[in-house]
Amino acid sequence: MADVFKKVEPAEYYRRHLTHDARPDGRQLLAFRDVVVSVGTIGTADGSALVRLGGGGTTVVCGVKAELASPRPDTPARGYVVPNVELPALCAATLRPGPPTALAQTLSQAMADLIENSGCVDAGALCVSPGRLVWALHVDAVCLAHNGNLADACAAAVVAALRDTTLPAITIDDETGRVRVDSGRERAPVAASAFPVAASFAKFDNDILFADPTAEEEALATATVTVATLEDGSLCLLHKAGGSAMTEKELQQCVDRAQVRGAELRHLVNKVAASKEC
Amino acid sequence: MSCLKQSNLRGFACEQSCLTRSDGSATFNQGETTVLAAVYGPVEVKLSKEHVEKAAVDVIYKPKVGIPGCKEKATEQLIKSTCETVLLVALHPRTAVVIVLQEMQNTGSLLSCCINACCQALMDAGINMRCLVCAVTTTVDQEGHIILDPTSKQEEDGKAVLTFAFDSKTNGVIMTTTSGIYSSQEYQECLLSAQHASAKIFEFYRDSILKKLSRVS
Amino acid sequence: MLTSMLTSITIYLNAMPLDRMRIPGPEDSKPPFVYETPSGVDVSNLVKTNGCRKDGRKADHIRPMFIKCGIISQAQGSVYIEFNNTKVICGVYGPREFGKREDFSMNGRLTCDFKFATFSCKQRRQHQQDAEEKELSQLLLQSLSPAVCLHKFPKAQVDIYVIILENDGSALSAAVTCGSLALADAGIEMYDMVVACSARKYFNSILLDPTAAEEIVPMKTNESVDEGEMTVAYMPSLNQVSGLILKGEMHTQVCAQIMKSCLEGCNLIYPVLQQSLITSIRKSLSNVDLQGSKEL
Repeated sequence: MADVFKKVEPAEYYRRHLTHDARPDGRQLLAFRDVVVSVGTIGTADGSALVRLGGGGTTVVCGVKAELASPRPDTPARGYVVPNVELPALCAATLRPGPPTALAQTLSQAMADLIENSGCVDAGALCVSPGRLVWALHVDAVCLAHNGNLADACAAAVVAALRDTTLPAITIDDETGRVRVDSGRERAPVAASAFPVAASFAKFDNDILFADPTAEEEALATATVTVATLEDGSLCLLHKAGGSAMTEKELQQCVDRAQVRGAELRHLVNKVAASKEC
Repeated sequence: MSCLKQSNLRGFACEQSCLTRSDGSATFNQGETTVLAAVYGPVEVKLSKEHVEKAAVDVIYKPKVGIPGCKEKATEQLIKSTCETVLLVALHPRTAVVIVLQEMQNTGSLLSCCINACCQALMDAGINMRCLVCAVTTTVDQEGHIILDPTSKQEEDGKAVLTFAFDSKTNGVIMTTTSGIYSSQEYQECLLSAQHASAKIFEFYRDSILKKLSRVS
Repeated sequence: MLTSMLTSITIYLNAMPLDRMRIPGPEDSKPPFVYETPSGVDVSNLVKTNGCRKDGRKADHIRPMFIKCGIISQAQGSVYIEFNNTKVICGVYGPREFGKREDFSMNGRLTCDFKFATFSCKQRRQHQQDAEEKELSQLLLQSLSPAVCLHKFPKAQVDIYVIILENDGSALSAAVTCGSLALADAGIEMYDMVVACSARKYFNSILLDPTAAEEIVPMKTNESVDEGEMTVAYMPSLNQVSGLILKGEMHTQVCAQIMKSCLEGCNLIYPVLQQSLITSIRKSLSNVDLQGSKEL
């Protein structure tokens, strides 16, 4: 019966739930889905992470491939970080094979902004020889299952993969200029201490605020907000693209909830990374 | 052409109906930053973009130099959903409203200038809107001071740049996007001062329309 | 004048096939392993004197498998398979309407899309499908379509999407196995499941289910090499072969021999697939039961 109601009147179905501080999947309004993070899952990548929200509802796997390139002339001592989000036709029924959709492009840009703003990659670690050789990190996040809130899942996967990324030691012969990769020496991490965590919220009927929307909820939402926080409580991304207007109080509520969420996720990722080392 | 001079905002200027072949157009200046916006619509829509219950809003953003890439696409999406919010899209189902934005000159606060130009062009086109929208860019400098409507230099030197778009009815935040690192207190301060400045911009909107209409009559 | 301008523009565009839909990286970057000094690892010695391979398997052993069905929430059918380090995910959508407007057909249509994730191989892959991936998509389609009852869904198509998350050899055979299991998981009617297995001839032994290091590397010599690799897609209940691809050159007798090994490998994998399908159906049935009792 409930299934029929949901199909025929999806908005009313959600309205009845949300006005009682409950969601169809059993969560409270400001509750996030459970997160599963595993790092170092892809052996062929220099760093990788898999993030699953709500028992596999949304799954994103991110792999980092490090390559060597010559730097841009205007930034001789800076390496490249090239994040891209792929939404293959595999992850949702609405997608077909082809060039990246507008959503994929927006997400890619959001990941680039997140990495740039937060400074979560150690710029010095990417420079091998100023003006001659730097590392280019290709950070590719592939969405395997799309059930809403890709921004949070992608951000978590990208940051966890970058924290897992290590680079081989490189020596350059001063006389001959020959580059040699020392596979014997210990690999160096690239991540800086900054650890941004994104948290997304949505608004329903212009007034009910809830966290971590699923795909169904995203389709019905009148606005969505993404907030990225750092450990010290500062913000590095606050993105709301259109949709119903929000007051500063509501935005503050999102920021406060995002801080709590950030602490939880940071603890989880650090725990996973520590257990991998053991 | 009407102008606005404010101590904390740069000089604003706007000229509507500057293009002859579009349904509505406007050039918007914030200091030296200039954006030209043209609106076509409601027009026929491509089958792939058609919505049964509303008009599709399509924003095309053209940078001054170079071919548009991912960054421009993200900007387009941002402006698109902002315009979608203020337009009464349900009045024109199975059609499209196409907005073309051309960056003419950028000396800071480009995104807010784009949105303001959009709103002026939409007004000029006479498409039904729920309310008006205006955008304000702010920046937080290294000492934590807030600068409204910054220049490119101020944007580069500051630690964060925050852009807000407000609706004219409730003065709520329709769009917000940020770059750089800032505290949540700084965010609230920026929001409040931007909100305060938005009232001035809406006043400027009214004046410019009044001037235009008085000229017509 | 105009023509010359146009040609110059075309040349310019051809010279810069930049992907504007993605964040651009450096124009030219090299993987670090090209700078590595050749290490002491002997590539030629794949089988140790005691008859074991590098990962400790005997020549006729397949790698341990991990299979999970129903991994993609939005897909009709989906399967994740690991053959040790080869990791494959497959999603099946449909039967749904034709993607493009096409002529009416009484038979349904099958499409396959095969992609290596950019980070799945030693050398980074590009985002766009390259020639090898297009060829593998075709091979996948040809191996799977004989098993599907296409007449059961006229005017509709079934899409099979395969992504290799990590490639440690035998990617095609893993994709075929994964694809057919995903079709079964989606409830698409089939004559039989398709199981695929690869084998490589290495001197006097036949290495079943080769890893990336054991896969054949094409050599540019004019001499005849008595080496090769075969992938066979096989429908065990019907005892029919739906796909076969051979690389290298071998004697006909060796060919027959290596094919026999592949079929033996398929027969080893088949019961595992059946078992995982039963487990997945049991699980979904128990969920239905739970929901039913809730509504009562």
